[in-house]
Amino acid sequence: MSNAISIRGLTKTFGPKLAVSNLDLEVPTGSLCGFIGPNGAGKTTTIRMIMSIIFPDSGELTVLGKSSAIESKDRIGYLPEERGVYRKMKVLPFLTYMAKLKGVDGAAAKQKSLNWLAKVGLGDVAKKKCEELSKGMQQKVQFISAVIHEPDLLILDEVFSGLDPVNRRLMRDLIHEQHASGRTIVFSTHAMYEAEQLCDRVFMVHRGVKVLDDTLQGIRNRFDPKTIIVEPLSEQTESGESALGLIRNLPGITHAERDREGIVLNLADGVPPSRLMAEIAALLPLRRIELKRVSLEDVFIDLVDSSTDDTVTREDLRATLKEEAAHV
Amino acid sequence: MYKTFLVAWREFLATVLTKGFLLGILLPPVIMGFALTVMPLLMNTAAPKTTGTIAVIDKSGLVADALKVSLDADAFKSRRAKKMEKAQAKLESKGLSIPIDNRTKAMAGAAMEAGSPTLTVEILPATSDQEEAKKPLLTANVRDNEKANASQRVALIVIPETAVRAAAAANTPATPFDHYQIYTAPKLDIEVTSDISDQVDKAIVDARLKDAKFDPDRIRSLIAEPITDTKVVTKEGERKDSGVAAMMVPGAFLVLLWISVLVGGQGLLMSTVEEKSSRVMEVLLSAISPMQLMVGKIIGQMAVASLLLGLYAFTGIGALIAFSMGHLIDPMTLVYAAVYFVIAFFLMASMMAAVGSAVNDIREAQALMQPIMIVMVIPMMLWMPIGRNPNGLFAQIVSFVPPISPFVMVIRIAGSEKIPFWQIPASMAVGIISMIFMCWATAKIFRIGILMYGKPPNLKTLIKWVRMA
Repeated sequence: MSNAISIRGLTKTFGPKLAVSNLDLEVPTGSLCGFIGPNGAGKTTTIRMIMSIIFPDSGELTVLGKSSAIESKDRIGYLPEERGVYRKMKVLPFLTYMAKLKGVDGAAAKQKSLNWLAKVGLGDVAKKKCEELSKGMQQKVQFISAVIHEPDLLILDEVFSGLDPVNRRLMRDLIHEQHASGRTIVFSTHAMYEAEQLCDRVFMVHRGVKVLDDTLQGIRNRFDPKTIIVEPLSEQTESGESALGLIRNLPGITHAERDREGIVLNLADGVPPSRLMAEIAALLPLRRIELKRVSLEDVFIDLVDSSTDDTVTREDLRATLKEEAAHV
Repeated sequence: MYKTFLVAWREFLATVLTKGFLLGILLPPVIMGFALTVMPLLMNTAAPKTTGTIAVIDKSGLVADALKVSLDADAFKSRRAKKMEKAQAKLESKGLSIPIDNRTKAMAGAAMEAGSPTLTVEILPATSDQEEAKKPLLTANVRDNEKANASQRVALIVIPETAVRAAAAANTPATPFDHYQIYTAPKLDIEVTSDISDQVDKAIVDARLKDAKFDPDRIRSLIAEPITDTKVVTKEGERKDSGVAAMMVPGAFLVLLWISVLVGGQGLLMSTVEEKSSRVMEVLLSAISPMQLMVGKIIGQMAVASLLLGLYAFTGIGALIAFSMGHLIDPMTLVYAAVYFVIAFFLMASMMAAVGSAVNDIREAQALMQPIMIVMVIPMMLWMPIGRNPNGLFAQIVSFVPPISPFVMVIRIAGSEKIPFWQIPASMAVGIISMIFMCWATAKIFRIGILMYGKPPNLKTLIKWVRMA
């Protein structure tokens, strides 16, 4: 299978800041890839280099078989993270204009715009000015402008940000539909669970360095589950000790804290979860005990933790990620 | 190329089809044209025709007869015709001839005849009661032609004897004569009033001269204002000095160039800032390269500026030809002006595009705009000194200093003095080189700037961007 995007040794610096460092990346044709990492990891910079909006300092890049996206821009759909519409322009002329810019000819551009508007439930806004639309509606219009020319490759940067749950689902369906019709899709997000729901392949970058590149299944197999959730029957044992304190003292547990789900335990490397679960069950009566399925978030934190200096702790990272997810 | 054209076309439409543009740009020439053509007609026809009598109480007995002649309806008419001829002669002597063909003359004459007052002079006895004589003025109807009648009294002139013959007691040489009075009906046309007072003045002065045994007509012909006839002696022969017009034409070229360049530049700045602040920039970049976007925008705004320039220039040249002053503009001057417009526009537009791409909103643009605006004011300040001395050393030097060189050259070329020919291609070459350099630098700033959000850069940062790969 050929690759829609192929990147080798890509490096980009902004002044003293290393934005992307020696990045290798292969996006197989027809795949649906998630490009994840926290804010400032270098996702948008990489995408902009793929789109030839900015140029790398060094490294090779092939997009749809061409050495630069400029030669194949009409076959790529790109929805940038920083996106907007001409406020004073009407919706239909805006979409027609974008379609023409992407190589669709005049008459077809108008018809396609109308079809798409009807499809996403915006049939009645064609004659309205863009500034009159709600943010969610504008997002849909922008999505249409990215796919209206039926591109082979679709790059979506933070496509879900700012959408309510209903529109989020609509967007997810649209992405699946685009994928089903044979398009290669790359979408970047800092919300790991979005990637988990959608992708069949995931790249993860952190501070400009790729830390993970695998299929979702591969990741699940590769990374041992490291989190156990325990819900004790009561907070205190018969002897008056706190359940949290008791569990925390067990060997092989690096961290224990209470959250809404119960007591969340992080396991040290090499500790078999089955043994620890048995030990906990023997220690005190439980309502529930569960070995949490590995999430991308855990994988990410694990990778980042081992690859970077100690100034950022595992907990800090987890907190940042949660915060970001809450903002989505 | 096609995409660049699409961008340019959208830019053009988005700028031209706004209410603000249509009002702000198209209205001034329309208003000017209206003021020059329709307004005088309206004023002529709308001026109320004054009908009635002018009563005169002449206590000196020396003025009334003269007034009977000079305040007659026919006298009013012929005076108005003479006034127009005189004004025309004066304009001609200043190099601003307005030829009027016979048809126009007839039309103007007819309009004047219609507007000219039909007044008769009624001499009251010198011993009449002044207060009694004023009373009819209150019932006169001077605005409404329907209700007016020929016998109504619209003005009363009272001339005391001391206004003509100096009172024996008054020996102060500065004011040996007393005042005379004109009483008019309310709302009497101001032109009629001033005409009446002019005639009374003249009649009184004549009376004084006669009283002192002088011939008034002879005196008047002796003190008539001399008329100048200035000619310029050139190798090709003598020609009339164009005077004021010679200064006005380069000024008009400068102002046209200046306004159109500024409007285009401003439009470019606004639309770039809008694209950036509404975050539509990167959406566009998904389809086109930053270079295509920038070039498209500049071409689009140039079309706007050209439209403006063309519109104004067409009106201006049309007006000059209508006033048969077409000889003031050499067709080659227009060609040169067009080339300098392109140079000036690209210099200005690239600066504006650079600023627009670097800032987040129009407020931040102000800080970076300041130096540009200061530079733009310079040509305006140079108009007079360079227009007067187009071949001075200073004028020659600034002809090669971009970005003001196109403006300076336009002032010099449009002027009446011939400039060394080599300076035209030379200054164009300098302009084109600086234009290419500016576009190159702007392309770099634009490419980086359009994706930068946050703290606006200062001039130093912009220069750093230019030097970045």
